[in-house]
Amino acid sequence: MSDHILEQLGPYLDGELHGKSLQKVKLHLTECITCQEEYTSLENLSATLQEAPLPDFPSPEDFASDLALLLPRKPALPIREKALEFGWWLAPIGLIAIWMFISTTNLVSGAITFANSLGVLNDTSTWLVSGSAPETYWSAALGQFGFLSGNNLQIAEMAEAITRITIPQIVWQVSLATLYLSWMAIWWARHERQGLGQALES
Amino acid sequence: MISTQINETALVNQAQNGDRNAYGELVRTHSQGVLNVVYRMCGNKHLAEDAAQEAFIQAWLKLSSYQPRASFRSWLYRIAVNSAIDMLRKEKRILPDAVEDYFLMDPSPGPESMLASTERAELVRKAIVTLPDASRAVLVLREYEGLSYQEIAETIDIPIGTVMSRLNYARKLLKEKLKMHLFSYAEAEHV
Repeated sequence: MSDHILEQLGPYLDGELHGKSLQKVKLHLTECITCQEEYTSLENLSATLQEAPLPDFPSPEDFASDLALLLPRKPALPIREKALEFGWWLAPIGLIAIWMFISTTNLVSGAITFANSLGVLNDTSTWLVSGSAPETYWSAALGQFGFLSGNNLQIAEMAEAITRITIPQIVWQVSLATLYLSWMAIWWARHERQGLGQALES
Repeated sequence: MISTQINETALVNQAQNGDRNAYGELVRTHSQGVLNVVYRMCGNKHLAEDAAQEAFIQAWLKLSSYQPRASFRSWLYRIAVNSAIDMLRKEKRILPDAVEDYFLMDPSPGPESMLASTERAELVRKAIVTLPDASRAVLVLREYEGLSYQEIAETIDIPIGTVMSRLNYARKLLKEKLKMHLFSYAEAEHV
């Protein structure tokens, strides 16, 4: 008589054996009384377990209805989506902060330049204005080649200086305003869509 | 079968995007299975209903973390098994089920067979509930939900070899606990 195969009887009962393992267990059961008895006891156990009744549970419809009242509003978002959602709400704050920074920088820069032009700043404070004065490449070049001179050159230099200061400011402010308004438009569209979805659900 | 799986995948996707109706459909599909699992784990109807509700709430909250590598049912059953174990730990003691909670197998039972049936059910229920958590979960998923070893391994996240050994262990313990009852069952079968 070969060794008993008690460990294989459970998988055999559960239909988890295939091929050679299955054939081996089948053959063994025809010749081993101990394993036959063990297998029968496993069958009886399974039948006894199956016989144990279930209580009268609520129907799937009732269960789902009761559960619907207990469910939180939305399922939790994954971390990546949470980060995106956080970034989305952070965007307008960031835009306003950038706008304030640039405006403050320009204001301070203008004040320093103005103070310098009035001669208020002493020698130790001149580093504040070094590089802050607008450079006038085109009007200077036109003056060098003799196209402009005297008052015309001064007006051209002033115009170039003003352009160099104001155009970047305008571009920055318009860009920031566009981004902010775009965010507002997207927020409004999402808000409207959610409202429509809730109306359809109800 | 394949169309059912596709439909379920679509429902899961919709539910992951916050669609409560889609989730409701998933709940209707799996509620009886989950109730069955948690009842066999807890051994008490009211605890089982609470555990099943808790399992579905947890599943809703964790839905974004579900990856369709495993079946939705396996994922849900894992939550259900944990919910049942947690519920039992909270309760500390096993509450006996009321007799009227049971469906009686015999449609017209006499007083004696009714009593015997109830006693048998009570014996089996107690025997299962007193199994160690890990073995009980494997046994319940196999015997009452008919999951394959592979599915059980996916559900509980253990190797198939461990499923086999836990199942063998659970059956060995149950045979000892229900020795007398199994003996009388076998006799009745032969009569």
